[in-house]
Amino acid sequence: MPREVEISIIEREFIQNALQEGIRRDGREFDAFRPLELNFGDEYGVADVQLGKTRVIVRISVDVVAPPPERKFDGVFQIVTEFSPMASPAFEVGRPTDAEVILSRVLEKAIRRSNALDTESLCIIAGLKCFALRADVHIVDHDGGLIDASCIAVMAALQHFRRPDVIVEGEKATVLSTRERDPIPLSILHQPLSVTFSYYEEGNLFLVDADLAEEQVRQGEIIITMNRHGEICQVNKYGGAPVEPLDLLNLNNVALQKVKDISKFIQQKLDEDAKKRDAGGLMAELSAENAR
Amino acid sequence: MHPTTQLSPLHRADGSATYTSNGYTIIGAVNGPIEVQRRDELPTEATLEVNVRPAVGVGSPRERHLETLLHGALRSVVLTESLPRSLVQITLQVSGMPSEEGDCGVSSSLSILPHLLHTALLALLSASIPLSTILTAALVVIPSSSSTPLVSPTANQLLRAKPIRSAHVFAFSGDGSLLMNESDGVFSLQEWDEAVEATEEVCCKEEGGVGLSEGMEVDGREGGSLDTWLREVVRGKVNWEMRWKTAR
Amino acid sequence: MAALVTVVLPGDEIPRSSLPTPTGKKKTLTLGPGLRHIPPDTITTTIAGALTTDNKKNAIWVDTNSGRYIPAVGDLVIATIQNSVFESFNCLLTPNTPFASLPQLAFEGATRKTRPVLAPHSLVYARVVSNGQHTSPEITCVDPSTGKSEGLGPLKSGMIFNVSLGMARRLLLKSKGEVIVLELIGAKVGFEITVGRNGIVHVDGANVKTILAVGRAIQEVDEQALGEKGQKKLAERVLKSL
Repeated sequence: MPREVEISIIEREFIQNALQEGIRRDGREFDAFRPLELNFGDEYGVADVQLGKTRVIVRISVDVVAPPPERKFDGVFQIVTEFSPMASPAFEVGRPTDAEVILSRVLEKAIRRSNALDTESLCIIAGLKCFALRADVHIVDHDGGLIDASCIAVMAALQHFRRPDVIVEGEKATVLSTRERDPIPLSILHQPLSVTFSYYEEGNLFLVDADLAEEQVRQGEIIITMNRHGEICQVNKYGGAPVEPLDLLNLNNVALQKVKDISKFIQQKLDEDAKKRDAGGLMAELSAENAR
Repeated sequence: MHPTTQLSPLHRADGSATYTSNGYTIIGAVNGPIEVQRRDELPTEATLEVNVRPAVGVGSPRERHLETLLHGALRSVVLTESLPRSLVQITLQVSGMPSEEGDCGVSSSLSILPHLLHTALLALLSASIPLSTILTAALVVIPSSSSTPLVSPTANQLLRAKPIRSAHVFAFSGDGSLLMNESDGVFSLQEWDEAVEATEEVCCKEEGGVGLSEGMEVDGREGGSLDTWLREVVRGKVNWEMRWKTAR
Repeated sequence: MAALVTVVLPGDEIPRSSLPTPTGKKKTLTLGPGLRHIPPDTITTTIAGALTTDNKKNAIWVDTNSGRYIPAVGDLVIATIQNSVFESFNCLLTPNTPFASLPQLAFEGATRKTRPVLAPHSLVYARVVSNGQHTSPEITCVDPSTGKSEGLGPLKSGMIFNVSLGMARRLLLKSKGEVIVLELIGAKVGFEITVGRNGIVHVDGANVKTILAVGRAIQEVDEQALGEKGQKKLAERVLKSL
């Protein structure tokens, strides 16, 4: 059975010793993220996030379906994560690892159940037709921090996505293609982002955004998801050594600062992208006028 | 227009490539030779595993079909007998498709096939897996309105050429022999011959070819064959790897 | 320089004119990695890279810096012990490959009564003894002719850093591998490095800071392909930080 190779003894000892001296392997501060990069695709709703050597691509797609009978006024929103051998030969197709299960569960709680997306706005005709939105999370390169990176990618892609417009006449709905009418952005209520803290030394030492080697050495992790207004969506701690309540409160403050920074970063990238697209639109309009 | 590509963009995989052409974006990764599971082990050759992952949703029969086609073509390229009892794992992640894909009248498994083949080859080259030869492939369609075949059409061209009578994908090895063919639609033997010829022109190197002795590159790179393009990509990789020898 | 490189793709036939002209005593042609001989007298390439020849050794091979490490007899490697079975340890040279075996008696001074005890996930510096196509590789921590360790054996402290295979080869070159950064840093601070052909460099030194600085300097030279000037600058920066 392919398995993730365990870290060697001297690496483990070295990382722990270095942390005691206050040094991280790559020279970062304890509460620093790795360099974050975010690129949008040519199409709407494709976000490519690089967090250090970790890389995640999220793609949003939309379909029209009948809504589930118990929720007539809602649309459908689904986040799908599947690891592929691309990120590590230890990932096998159709055989989810623990990490994969935790990732999909956290994303579900953080984004879907915190109502980041207004699913009611996806309803076209109550009980008959609604949009089904789907976020495919592709892990392309894996060097730890998958949860944080995936969360950033999903939120960025959602904000970037535009759904086609519809005309409703009585019981009849017509979906207009992007060429007929400009597609419209999704209605997003708030932007939850996750910050994962790895802890060492019986919960006396916390690291933000651990890489794969640091993740393998840690005693446990705490995942905090909140939006930039400091509203906490979830706090998760999967086993490991106990942690002082006061520490947990401190972590929330650190997380808030990080979430604010990343939100700002995403917004800035969205603005840049919008400007780029708009420039193209303006140019196209001008040339059309000349042709006349 | 030649595809744009980047070799070894990923850190974890042994070899990888990103590939963009005609609106398709694909990321390919190769791991190998690695340990093979008992049930897949072959005593005298390497096991090839091909995974195709669609941009949207999880794999469907379409992807399984593509995997079978790719497996067949790549098996004749990889020198599997030089790596017995091991696994070469090829993963192809489609991350972008032209938006007109669904309604251009050609089966989508045909139109994406040459791009998947190229990505797989590039990733194999990046992983330094021993190969007996290289391969180049192209899509060619014959519209109902005319008998001149269209070679590697863009999705837009396909839309305009509709309806389409037949579509073919041909893959050629480095020395110009036909490796693989998938055809769909109604066509005569003569049309098929023409299609092969037209694709060969795009894929293979010119007669009297640029062999090893080529010191000077062909200037009109846009006009060059896919073979020339591939050589150019590898030249870029080699120069990148050797740059420390000339660096200040 | 760069213009002289002959780039080859798999399946290219090597013309007679590209073969090395032997200047040494050795008359038989040696084919290195990336080439195969198809009888009677055709030589073709199997990987993409730069065709390189050595006239003195009458050898020809394809130089490349990508892909997974493939064990070759005589290579020095850093292996990870996985477990111990009967008379030998199972080791990993690269992740997800079949185990390489390291006999428990293949250590300096090891006898049936005094065997080394190595915990799982500890590291050893070893030499590849055999690697057949149909057998798993075997490695050793002792020179069979002298019975001495010759620098091989368990690695106890320090840290390991991953580098490209090409960089590992460079560091192992006897003649100036052109990695002067190590000499420059070594002139001021003491440290010890061990290079495994499988792309792993082990660094040991007085303290955490030194080890990290040296390890990261090697990685930087590798990633950015630093030349002499770049390395001098890097060495200055590293020394200042220590």
